[in-house]
Amino acid sequence: MVDDSTRKTLSNIPLLKTKAGPRDKELWVERLKEEYQSLIKYVQNNKDADNDWFRLESNKEGTRWFGKCWFIHDLLKYEFDVEFDIPVTYPTTAPEIALPELDGKTAKMYRGGKICLSDHFKPLWARNVPKFGIGHAMALGLGPWLAVEIPDLIAKGVISYKEKTG
Amino acid sequence: MADWEEVKRLAADFQKVQLSSTTQRLSERNCIEIVTWLLERKMIDLIFTSDGKEYLTPSQLVNEIRGELYDNGGRVNLVELAKLIGVDLAHINTHVHEVIKGHKDIQLILGQLIDSSYIVRIAGEINEKLSQQGQINVSDLTLQYDLPADFLQQQVLEKNLGKLIFGKQDQNDPRIFFTESFIARSKAKIRGALAGLTRPTPVTTILSHIDMSEKLFFSLFEHTGNYGSLTSKMVGAQYIPNVYARSQNEWVNNFYKQNGYLEFDALMRLGIYDYKSYIKKQLANEDILLLNSCVISKSILERVEADIEECISSKSYVDLQSNLPSVFNEKDIQSILISVLTGQKQLQTIVVGSYIISKSFIEKLSKDCDDLVKGNAKSTVESGKYQQYQIDLHASHTKSSKLDEAEEKIDKREERRKKAAGGKSGGGTQGRETKTKSTKKPSRGGNKSFDIDDTEVPERKAVLDIVTADDIRNIIQNTLEEEGLDDLVEPLTDYLLPKLNEQGMEIAANIYATTVADRTANRRQTHNELQNKLNALIGDVRLFEKGIKLLPSELQLLLVKYLLKTLCTDILTEILNYVAAEQNSNVVTDSFNNDQRIKFINDLPPEFKTPLLPLAKCLTGQSIDDFMTAVEEGLSACSMIIKKIDKKKDRTIILNHKHQLLEQLNKCEDLALVLHLATLIIFTTATQCMLHASGRHVSALLSFLKQYLTEEQYAELTSYHDFVTLMLSAGSEAESAKEKLKEKMPTIKSIANDFKKPGAEKS
Repeated sequence: MVDDSTRKTLSNIPLLKTKAGPRDKELWVERLKEEYQSLIKYVQNNKDADNDWFRLESNKEGTRWFGKCWFIHDLLKYEFDVEFDIPVTYPTTAPEIALPELDGKTAKMYRGGKICLSDHFKPLWARNVPKFGIGHAMALGLGPWLAVEIPDLIAKGVISYKEKTG
Repeated sequence: MADWEEVKRLAADFQKVQLSSTTQRLSERNCIEIVTWLLERKMIDLIFTSDGKEYLTPSQLVNEIRGELYDNGGRVNLVELAKLIGVDLAHINTHVHEVIKGHKDIQLILGQLIDSSYIVRIAGEINEKLSQQGQINVSDLTLQYDLPADFLQQQVLEKNLGKLIFGKQDQNDPRIFFTESFIARSKAKIRGALAGLTRPTPVTTILSHIDMSEKLFFSLFEHTGNYGSLTSKMVGAQYIPNVYARSQNEWVNNFYKQNGYLEFDALMRLGIYDYKSYIKKQLANEDILLLNSCVISKSILERVEADIEECISSKSYVDLQSNLPSVFNEKDIQSILISVLTGQKQLQTIVVGSYIISKSFIEKLSKDCDDLVKGNAKSTVESGKYQQYQIDLHASHTKSSKLDEAEEKIDKREERRKKAAGGKSGGGTQGRETKTKSTKKPSRGGNKSFDIDDTEVPERKAVLDIVTADDIRNIIQNTLEEEGLDDLVEPLTDYLLPKLNEQGMEIAANIYATTVADRTANRRQTHNELQNKLNALIGDVRLFEKGIKLLPSELQLLLVKYLLKTLCTDILTEILNYVAAEQNSNVVTDSFNNDQRIKFINDLPPEFKTPLLPLAKCLTGQSIDDFMTAVEEGLSACSMIIKKIDKKKDRTIILNHKHQLLEQLNKCEDLALVLHLATLIIFTTATQCMLHASGRHVSALLSFLKQYLTEEQYAELTSYHDFVTLMLSAGSEAESAKEKLKEKMPTIKSIANDFKKPGAEKS
């Protein structure tokens, strides 16, 4: 099960209403609007809590999303590219978030840098179709993954701090 | 398309939001990190709260402590403080000193902070309480305020005494404070209570009444002591009020003066337990005598003395119980008597219980009994009891263990008992016979009872009462009842009984001595008389036997038997009577049957038993000769002699006998007896021999006499005889036969009178 802080974060992300995938034309637009509104709220929340940890943007149709995410460990900020596609069966199928940089560096990852999500994610998502959206996927999927994997990877020396643009 | 526009706009908004600067906020983690870092560098001094989420600077803690102290009304517990502020107790403890340092009005007592405002407040409270209760104990306050006594004493009470607390400290017990009014009130209470006492009262009772503590009472009591109402304090904290002691003394004095005595019980009731020393103190200058239950004055003794003198001089008695106050018990009277009855008086009086009786009074009483004593003594001697007593006395001295003798004793005892039952004269033959059987059988039958009897015998023998207690009681009762001395009957009887008995014994001894002298003379005479009488009887028997021998042999047998049964039995009876008298047993054997006689003889001592036993046996035999020889032996045993047969005398005896018979005949009116007598007369005249026969033998005699009679004489006699038998048969003709007999009686009488011996007639 997800931990308390995650749950709290999750509950602060507005839920979605429209059940529509990228092929649903009108309805997808509707869905996309809700996705954005939800994301805006989520980012807003994060910033308010001084807990901003990603940047996202999408293509024009909203089917492909890309951006950055970072994790602060020992007062150092480790930054990674993040990208994922909206599957055609969305929202029934959750988006597969990928960190291409880390492809091959950890066991908890599929080919192409797609992260292995926890056992709880899928049933939780399935139960909450169509209420969960991209924001939920980030908070529920990527967030915990980063918190678990990055310190481990740093400890193993797989990744090292790179001076980047702050 | 508008939708897509909107999406675009939203995407732009999203970017805008993402790019907007994040509020620069230190997260909790960072803060903690920073603070830890600073602490590590000792750049700041901070105190963690107990939940670890807050820090406090020490000065803040001090401030907060002061604040809490104020909040809690000037008194706060450190533990509670730690809880309220949320800091570890250790921090509080370390910083409490800082709190106190700058402020003299704050104190730390028993882990509690207390400031002066609190002290002022409780001082106010205490004052209020003191004014309400009048008295306050520090220990009570410690309980109430949960503060140490020393603190309350020094910091609260003594500091504020006179300022906030208006009262006084007890001099004896600095822990107690009271108000002036309270002391005044208590004193008044004690004074009142003590004044109200009328008798010795334990302090606890007083205290419970006035509702005061013992300590206070005693501390105040010394002040009240000079009120003068109390005389003394006793063991067990008893207070005796003055009034009481005074009235007690008064009562004692008055009572003693009035009555002349003082009862210990009364003193005990008054509460004087140590009465002896009290009396010594109280009646120091009085002349007193200490008794068992009271003291008495000399005057009472003098009175008693006077009473006794008077009693002696008036020859009467005094009842001390009624003359003295009723409270005196027996022991008292006893001791009074000891002190009063001295020498001379003691000789002249007798003390019975509480009565003093003059000797002369008793003598008067015993004189009344004299007649009785004399009478009884006489009767005792006459009835043989006295002799028995002497014998018993003797026997008990030389007591033998032989069974034979014991048996004899028992017999004697039985005889005595018989006599007692039968009365002194020995009359009532039938009664005696039954008695003999009933008394003899049990003692003979069971050996068990015999054993018991044996042990009892000597005891009983030892005492012989001439007069019984009952007799004396009856006599003196009347006199005493007149005087109203019923109670004295018993003791006086007891007193008189031995004396009178002694007297009686003396009299009896005198009487006995005289009677014994008389008796020895008598006995010699009776011995002679008896010898003569027996000789005469034996002579008669011999003569009768001679007459019998004339008759036909079959008739002889019958007549011999008859003779043995009558005259010979009489002889034996006489002998036995004599023997009994010799043996000092008053048995009269007159109406004994044969068995009883033999039994009696068997019980006799052997010197009588051997000659008398054959004599008794030959009575049932058929021979006069046997009897005669036996009689001779028997008489010799009784030291008597049978006189030689004097033939000359026989004739005169026969003549006398005949004359006697004739005399009887002439007087006789009995129809049958006339014939009997006539027949005997005719026989005697005809044969010159005496005959002893019964009426039954008349017909046989007539037929024998036929040879001596004329025809008509014989016819008259036989016809008369026939009528007699007819009359006696009581048949239908009895009456007519009687008539005939009456007619013929004179004829028969004349025949007997006129009859002459045929031989003589002829010659």
